[in-house]
Amino acid sequence: MTDTTPGLLDRYQFQLRRLHSLSGIVPIGFFLLFHLLTNSTAFLGAERYDTHVQQIHDLPWLPVIELLFIFLPIAFHGILGVTIAWQGKLNVRQYPYMDNWRYTLQRITAWITLAFVAIHLLHFRFAYWFGEPEYASAAPRFFDFTRQGFLHLWLPAWLWIWIYVVGVAAAAFHFSNGIVTFCITWGIAVGFEARKKLSLVAGALCIVLMLWGFVSLHALTTMTRTAPGAAEVARGNEQRISTPYMARHEAPSAARE
Amino acid sequence: MVRNMTASTTVASHKEIHFKIKRQDGPNSQPYWEEFKMPYAPQHNVISALLYLREHPVNTKGQRVAPVAWESNCMEEVCGACSMLVNGVPRQACAALVDDLAQPIVLEPLTKFPIIRDLAVDRQKMFDALIRVKAWVPLDGSQDVHEPAPRISPADQALRYAFSRCMTCGCCMEACPQYHDRSDFIGPAPLGQVALHNSHPTGGFFKSDRLHALMDPGGIAGCGNAQNCFKVCPKDIPLTHAIGALGRQTTVQWLRDLLIK
Ligand code: HEM
Ligand code: SF4
Ligand code: SF4
Ligand code: FES
Repeated sequence: MTDTTPGLLDRYQFQLRRLHSLSGIVPIGFFLLFHLLTNSTAFLGAERYDTHVQQIHDLPWLPVIELLFIFLPIAFHGILGVTIAWQGKLNVRQYPYMDNWRYTLQRITAWITLAFVAIHLLHFRFAYWFGEPEYASAAPRFFDFTRQGFLHLWLPAWLWIWIYVVGVAAAAFHFSNGIVTFCITWGIAVGFEARKKLSLVAGALCIVLMLWGFVSLHALTTMTRTAPGAAEVARGNEQRISTPYMARHEAPSAARE
Repeated sequence: MVRNMTASTTVASHKEIHFKIKRQDGPNSQPYWEEFKMPYAPQHNVISALLYLREHPVNTKGQRVAPVAWESNCMEEVCGACSMLVNGVPRQACAALVDDLAQPIVLEPLTKFPIIRDLAVDRQKMFDALIRVKAWVPLDGSQDVHEPAPRISPADQALRYAFSRCMTCGCCMEACPQYHDRSDFIGPAPLGQVALHNSHPTGGFFKSDRLHALMDPGGIAGCGNAQNCFKVCPKDIPLTHAIGALGRQTTVQWLRDLLIK
C-alpha cells in the first residue's frame, strides 16, 4: 500500500483509470456509433454506401484524424484495459449476481473486442500488408470491395460472418455496459434508482446496436448493386462491377452467388 | 456425549449436525479438511455448535484433535468478528442458524485475509484502511464549537445511519473481485466510511484529505463496479451508492485540483 517507488501506472492510477473510462465513450464510443452508421448505409443501397465512404475518404487530414481519434485512443484503452482485466479475480460462479455477470462479461467482451478489432483492421484496413489491394483503391466502388472481402478473401464467407456477428455483439455489449460503469465511475449515476434506469436504457441500446450491426452485415454480404434482375444474377452480377481487388482474385464464379 | 460421537455417525442426519471444516494450524502451514459430527439440538447457530465442538473435539474418524479456532464476540451480528464462509457464503457465523443450513455445513476462513489459525483471520488491513482515509470525525461537538447543533434532514440521517452500521466484518471485501493479494485496491468497506464521514457536518472538515487518499494508488480507481459488495453486506450498507457518490466527489476534487489549486 505504501509502495516507496510506485511505477507511473501506479502513481497516476486514478487519472489513467478516469482517462480509460472517458476514452471508452469519447472518442471510441462515438467512433463506434459513427462506424455503425456508415456501415448501415449499405442497407439503403450500394450507391448510398459508396457516397458515404467516399465522404470519409475525402476528409482533410484523414490519416491524422484516424491516428488521433481512432488508433491511439483504441490502443490506449486496449492496453490499459488489458492490465485492468488482468487485475480482476473473476468470481461469478461463487457470486452469480446479475451485476457480477455484467462485470464478468465486460471483461470477456473486452478480450473478444480486442481480438475482433485486430482481425477487422487486418481484414479491411491493413490487408495490403499481405499483398492485397488497399481499401482506398476501390474508389468509387467501396461496396463491392467490402462485399468481396467477406465473400472471397482468405476465409469462407460463413466464417467471416460468424466472426463479425460475435465481434459486433461483443462490442455492442462492451460499449453499452460501459456507459453504465462510466456513469458510476464519474459519479453521474449515484443512487440505485438512477443505476437501474440507466441499466435498462443500456440494455435496450445494446440490443439496438447489435441489430443495427447485423443489418449492416447482412446488407454488405447479401445485397447487390441496384436490385438486379434474375437474369443478371444468373450471369454473375460482378462482371459489371470489377474492382482492383477483383482484378487480383479473378472473377468469382456466378455459382457462388 | 463424547462417547456417542463416533457411534452417532449412523444416526439419521436430523439427529446430528455434520460439519466439514477447512483447518490450518498456523499462518504458514498447509490447510486441510476435517469433519465433525455432533448431536442435534434445536436452535443452534454455527458459533454455539463450534462451542460444543470445542468441548468435544473429536473428528469423524474418532480422533481427539486440537479444537477448532475462530473469533467471535457479540453473538448478535454487530461486532463482525465471526465472519467466515458458511457453505461458501461470507457471513457471520453467529447469525447462521444451523436449522437453516444444508448439511454438511462447510466452514472455511475468509480467503482475502491472512489466516491466524483455522477459521480466525487477521482483518488488520481493514482497520489500516480506515486510518488511511481518516474515517473519523475530527470535532464531534462534545467540546464547545460555538455553534448550535447542525441540522440534518431525516433523509440524510437515514442514509448516514445505514453507513454507520458497518462492523468491519470483511464480507464485502471477500466478495469483491477487485480486492485480493495481487491488487492494491483499498476495498469497499472503507469507501462506505468515507461516504459517511464526508457527509457529516464536521466530519466533512477532512473531506479533501479523504478524497485525496482515494485518488492515490489503490484508491477508488480499483473498483470495477461488480457490486458484489452491496449484495453480500449483512448490514445492507449501500456501498454502491457510496462508490457512485465518491466517484462524483473525486471528479469534483480532481477538477478543483486541476483548475483552482
Ligand atoms: C469497440 C471498442 C471499445 C469500446 C467502445 C469500449 C468502451 C468502453 C467503455 C465505455 C467502458 C466503460 C468505462 C468505465 O467503466 O468507466 C469500457 C471499459 C472497459 N474496457 Fe473498453 N471499449 C472498447 C474496447 C476495449 C478493448 C479492446 C479492451 C481491452 C481488452 C477494453 C477493455 C476494457 C475494460 C477492462 C473495461 C473495464 C474498466 C473498468 O471496469 O473500470 N475495451 N470500455
Ligand atoms: S460494509 Fe458491510 S460487509 Fe463490508 S465490512 Fe461493513 S458491514 Fe461488513
Ligand atoms: S462494486 Fe464491485 S469492484 Fe467495486 S468495491 Fe464493490 S464488489 Fe468491489
Ligand atoms: S460474534 Fe459478533 S458478529 Fe458474530
